[in-house]
Amino acid sequence: MESYWKTLLTTPEAATNYRDSVRDRDHDLGAFLEFDPQRGCTAAGDILAERNTETAGDTNTTDDARSAAWAGVPFAVKDNIAVTGFRLTCGSRMLEKFSSPYTATAVQRLCTLGAIPVGKTNLDEFGMGSSTDTSALGVTSNPWDRSRVAGGSSGGSAVAVAAGMVPFALGSDTGGSIRQPAAFCGVYGLKPTYGAVSRYGLVAYASSLESIAVAAADVDTTEAVFRAMRAVDEMDQSTIECPADLADASGAADTTLRIGVLGGELGLDPAVATGYQGAADALKALGFPVSAVELPTIEYAVPAYYTIAAAEASANLARYTGIRYGLRPDYAENPEELVRTARDQGFGPEVKLRILLGTYVLRSGFQDQYYLRAQKVRTAIRNDFDRLFGEIDVLLMPVFPTPAFPHGDAGLTPFQQKIADRFTTTANLAGIPALALPAGVEAGLPVGVQVLAPAFHEHRLFAVARALAQRLPRATPPDYPPLWRKASE
Amino acid sequence: MDTSELHVTAELAHIELTDAETATLAEAVAQMVDYFARMQELPVDDLPPTTHALLTRNRLRTDTVRPDSKADELIEAAPDVEDRFIVIPNVL
Repeated sequence: MESYWKTLLTTPEAATNYRDSVRDRDHDLGAFLEFDPQRGCTAAGDILAERNTETAGDTNTTDDARSAAWAGVPFAVKDNIAVTGFRLTCGSRMLEKFSSPYTATAVQRLCTLGAIPVGKTNLDEFGMGSSTDTSALGVTSNPWDRSRVAGGSSGGSAVAVAAGMVPFALGSDTGGSIRQPAAFCGVYGLKPTYGAVSRYGLVAYASSLESIAVAAADVDTTEAVFRAMRAVDEMDQSTIECPADLADASGAADTTLRIGVLGGELGLDPAVATGYQGAADALKALGFPVSAVELPTIEYAVPAYYTIAAAEASANLARYTGIRYGLRPDYAENPEELVRTARDQGFGPEVKLRILLGTYVLRSGFQDQYYLRAQKVRTAIRNDFDRLFGEIDVLLMPVFPTPAFPHGDAGLTPFQQKIADRFTTTANLAGIPALALPAGVEAGLPVGVQVLAPAFHEHRLFAVARALAQRLPRATPPDYPPLWRKASE
Repeated sequence: MDTSELHVTAELAHIELTDAETATLAEAVAQMVDYFARMQELPVDDLPPTTHALLTRNRLRTDTVRPDSKADELIEAAPDVEDRFIVIPNVL
């Protein structure tokens, strides 16, 4: 991470300058729903103070944080991850005015190292979408071409990094929600192994599929943030201990790793096909043993994914009733009407679609046909990956069949966007880690590819990404050069 | 999917649909459900279902009392509160 990131919040004047620079830059991009470094400093201070109280006798935590590796480094947080002092809107009218009384474990862990959460980023409503356009609270645009979408659902987080406003941002990835916007904006995007990072404080959408995820400007930062967040958490019973022999495995560039390149009929846009081929060629040129492989079950990933995700969403979003928190209608005759009206006014069309779809596939009489079948397809996909990872160490795949598409009707329909999740949803169904990385710029737009590895083998992904970065360095959007580099040089 | 099926589903999901929403959502739900039928092509009868990809057992906390209550903040987050009660419309 460049050292200037540590100088932005050292004094109140510096923090004000930082705030004004980012707000100015974000005016046309809409990455942030809230941006307030001062409030972030307070939140981080409170987290450290609370920690000190809990670990009585260990009074050095605050000092440790001040002198820590990331002291004062700002980062952004997707607005479906809780940070006290900030709202937690999920991009939804339902939670537009809601603030969380607690902070996500992943954010707490980063604050303990001295990092400061400076703002909350826009997203598709409750993480449901591939463009960030389903947000009810703002429009986010791609810094490479503002007529195009940022991708989604973690679109704001990817834009905040791509446009140089923060060195890294947290997002979430349920079916590609960090990797696809990372590819659209030309940054790194890591979906960790399921259970490696605590989901405590992440608003639930599809609990068996999603992870807190990282968007970052380089491999070093991506890896460091992941390692800082990775831990078993008693507040999340689905966290899983990383096997001891893998916990400290090196992510240094390693060109002996056997790479499988997904072949067959991939249906890619020509620009994406060029970038994908370029990445495969670069791996060969670097000396990696490269072979073509197939993943036949990928044909069934999208139907299985949407069946499971919608089913889990319908259960998880049943909690929004307008009673205990969230949007309360002005008037309702009785409690039932209150709930229906709150949900009618609070949810957008994409959320309603997924709740209805999930309720339908779980209805009595349909469960075996849809939900149970999808869970078995999920097993078939896991088995397919197990077979592949017996022959190769890392799988190279496209992220999304197209580059960033235009906002609105000129872009992809919601159904086309769902079908296009075929490459990303596989990792969520199998629970394995996947890293999207920049693979060049075609016709003025970045192209991303992703690498996948077995569970808890994130180090292999970093090893490949580091080697590839020598051949395919990350490009920055021409209209948004780094904001602070010159000042520190 | 006919609209009566959609209305039954919406009732179960506590979602109210306007006529315009009924038309667009019936089509969108039907399109996805038709697409789900593709899963029938894959022979999976002999496979066990996956509920969580990697989870093998529950992680439990020790059963001890801790002073870690956010109760007041959580109650304050409710849209309509009287003392420590959350207010809703009359049930009867």
